[in-house]
Amino acid sequence: MRFLTVIAKNVLNRPVRSGLTAVGLSIAIAAMTILVGISWNFERSFLAIYRSKQIDLIVVRAGSSNQLSSSLDEPLADRLRQIEGVADVAPSLVDTVAFEEKNLASVLVNGWVAGSLLFRGIRVLEGRSLQPEDDRAAMLGRVLALNIGKQAGDRLEVAGETFAVVGTFESQSLFESGSMIIPLRTLQKMMGREGQVTGFVITARASDRNSLDALRRRIEAAIPGAAATPARDYVVGDTQIRLAKAMAWTTAAVAFLLGAVGMLNTMLMAIFERTREIGLLRAVGWRRRRVLAMVLGEALAIALAGTILGDVLAVVGIRALTLSPTARGFIEPNLPLEVLLIALVMGVGLSLLGGLYPAARAAALDPTEALRYE
Amino acid sequence: MSDREESPSGSALLRCEGLVKHYPDGNVQALRGVTLAIAAGEFVAITGPSGCGKSTLLHLLGGLDRPTAGEVSFRDQPLARLDLDTYRAREVGFVFQAFHLMATLTAMENVQIPMFEGPWPRRQRAQRAGQLLDEVGLSQRREHRPSQLSAGERQRVAIARALANEPTLLLADEPTGNLDSQSQDEILHLLRQLRERRRLTLVIVTHSPDVARAADRQVRMKDGQIQAG
Repeated sequence: MRFLTVIAKNVLNRPVRSGLTAVGLSIAIAAMTILVGISWNFERSFLAIYRSKQIDLIVVRAGSSNQLSSSLDEPLADRLRQIEGVADVAPSLVDTVAFEEKNLASVLVNGWVAGSLLFRGIRVLEGRSLQPEDDRAAMLGRVLALNIGKQAGDRLEVAGETFAVVGTFESQSLFESGSMIIPLRTLQKMMGREGQVTGFVITARASDRNSLDALRRRIEAAIPGAAATPARDYVVGDTQIRLAKAMAWTTAAVAFLLGAVGMLNTMLMAIFERTREIGLLRAVGWRRRRVLAMVLGEALAIALAGTILGDVLAVVGIRALTLSPTARGFIEPNLPLEVLLIALVMGVGLSLLGGLYPAARAAALDPTEALRYE
Repeated sequence: MSDREESPSGSALLRCEGLVKHYPDGNVQALRGVTLAIAAGEFVAITGPSGCGKSTLLHLLGGLDRPTAGEVSFRDQPLARLDLDTYRAREVGFVFQAFHLMATLTAMENVQIPMFEGPWPRRQRAQRAGQLLDEVGLSQRREHRPSQLSAGERQRVAIARALANEPTLLLADEPTGNLDSQSQDEILHLLRQLRERRRLTLVIVTHSPDVARAADRQVRMKDGQIQAG
């Protein structure tokens, strides 16, 4: 018989309690994995937008915490183009609209200039791309088109205005695939922000860190009140993404704490019930560290079962979530492997922490008293 | 009181000097200066009324507990200077009235439990457990769990377990206390056989006059002291 057999039999001897603890832990793990996975994918999806378009810097109003709250004058684009080291500049205006009849509360509308660098990484699936002469024309991302049931050639009501769907597109970013693109001028008129943009995206002639730093300083010196930020820093520093991550990790911490307390409770109950058995093990010469290893081994077995089940639930759960039209536009159906591994490590680690006190308590039992325990 | 310092049959394997055991929780003085010597290979029965300190003395001899005062020596080595886990694992085998078998494990597996602290590799553990169960007459019950065994069979498994690491000293606390008279006779016979075959030193705490009569020597206790032995 192996030592592991003793551990396995002890766990399996109480199938309901061990099972319920593992299930409780798995729910905590699944909740954590889904939440952290969504926030993680948020960031990755935004980064994919900028990477696919080879955007180096983003210029917004200094002090604005996210895209939607920034406002700059569109003619600044010409001044940006003249700054040494700038290869290309594209203005962008962003707003959100709702398609309530389709249960879509917040769809991103991008106001872009036809043919600008922002169209990089956009693959037209059907119809065509925007043309400079377009006015009430819209391109729909694949996921949005699917959610609202439109295709190229259809007409679409957006905030009381009728648009012709001229094409649908696919992007490397799920966010972009869940959005729509209309001409910049049209969106400016709709929002009453003629001559205004949310910001500019810039492709630099040299993309190394030093060159970008120097370019950033030149832009901020040339345009007072503007902030130029490398794309990655901009995404990581975005308030909404930081908020989503903070909420995800806070919820995860609470879930993990509950999981660890569940493990503590289960293992303590097991130790109380098995006091005489532990006394016997000590009586036949088992060292304290072997008793400790046995109890921690039992906690580890339950934790492993719980975390693996939790990861499976998370994978299934996030796929189920994306069946909802509301979530489909911004939740990726896949969880990053890193998040699944983090959940596994944290789940096992915290469960072991929960099992540590009962294990130490069991190891410290005096054999004579334990054998007399009623 | 006539405590014997040494057995006539040879030098003392175990020796107790002025053992005192006080339990502060219940303010109980379980042992009040017990001095006793047990020779290698001797069969000693400790008798006396309930609460007289028999089990406490057995626990101190087996290194399950430490005395409040006095000293227990094994082969002239004070237990206070030995690692008690190693002492219990290698030198002592315990048999209890309540068997204390692990309900989740089979007879074979229960016998292997002490071997984790012995020098036995996995295959040898299983082989030894099988041999020990054969020796106590349970060849056909190896894969049975305690709940599937009679009381007498359970005690046989417990005896096989006590022999797992080839101890020199077998300590039994009321080993026949939960058995009917036929099983009691069988267990007593088995213990005597094993003692002779394995040259064990056997110390039994008992209320049974039959068991006490079978011993080489009876140590009678009362109120934490040895009255005769």
